[in-house]
Amino acid sequence: MAFVVGINLALAFSLLGFIPSLLHSRFRSFFSFHWWAVGLIFLSGVALLIAYPAKALTNPVFYLKFFALSVGLLITWRLQRSKGMTILESSTADANLGNAKSIGAAMLLCWMTTIGAGRFLAYTHSVLLASRFY
Amino acid sequence: MEQALLQFSQSTGIFAFMNSPWGWPVVESLHFFGLSLLIGTVGVFDLRMLGFGAGISYQFLHRLVPIGVFGYALNVTTGTMFLSSAPDQYLYNPAFQTKIGLMLVAGANMMWFYGTTSSKVHDTKDFDMVSARARAIALVSLACWCGVIICGRLITYFRPPYHWCFWC
Repeated sequence: MAFVVGINLALAFSLLGFIPSLLHSRFRSFFSFHWWAVGLIFLSGVALLIAYPAKALTNPVFYLKFFALSVGLLITWRLQRSKGMTILESSTADANLGNAKSIGAAMLLCWMTTIGAGRFLAYTHSVLLASRFY
Repeated sequence: MEQALLQFSQSTGIFAFMNSPWGWPVVESLHFFGLSLLIGTVGVFDLRMLGFGAGISYQFLHRLVPIGVFGYALNVTTGTMFLSSAPDQYLYNPAFQTKIGLMLVAGANMMWFYGTTSSKVHDTKDFDMVSARARAIALVSLACWCGVIICGRLITYFRPPYHWCFWC
């Protein structure tokens, strides 16, 4: 999770202009590492969901985390595609500055929500086991 | 030590905040955010030195490090809040002790990097590999930070700490 969020935050800060434009075509090789880490998150997430389905599925915070994570990954996937790369590579140009900053802010919001919701999951569940219902 | 930490926490208002309904999860979220910043910058730089992302300038990636330093500072601050609010849960916890040990190794490794190989790495061309020493430093750094994450997660499973700490 730290690798996925970390790489995405670095991209977000790059788009927001805190650091020089990071995403150029050479950065692509890091994306393969990123998607491997996403695969690991998916497997561990499914395992946790199977272990305590009622705990997650009855908690609205779980859906918030899932939504923020999905949107965050969708943005990264779109950025990785050729059109997104064009925007990012010229993100220092005035024409694309606003666009790049909006994407960066959206990424930052998504990943901070994912982290926050993930931690709050442990404190906000009202049901632990499905056996409570029968 | 335990009493001093607790006194510090109570006198600064940290204890009251951490024991409020949202205190602990908010600080935990910030702690993970800081960790992500650290891994997204220092971790990526380590991976680059290990050969990932060939063609990306070492000098360019190194400019991300201040963000990692900010993440580290955030982690030290939030970590101190955890430690001072429940010192008995951390001081005798083997996972916490290992985590601190790994952080010290990572710190020493970083000093070794800046003392011996940093300037050479800076001057390395984009498609060239760095020296074997720099790769070893990157490997140690990456292993240490992965260990720090794992130990951080394990802290909660070594409770009560006194039960697990055989040398305390």
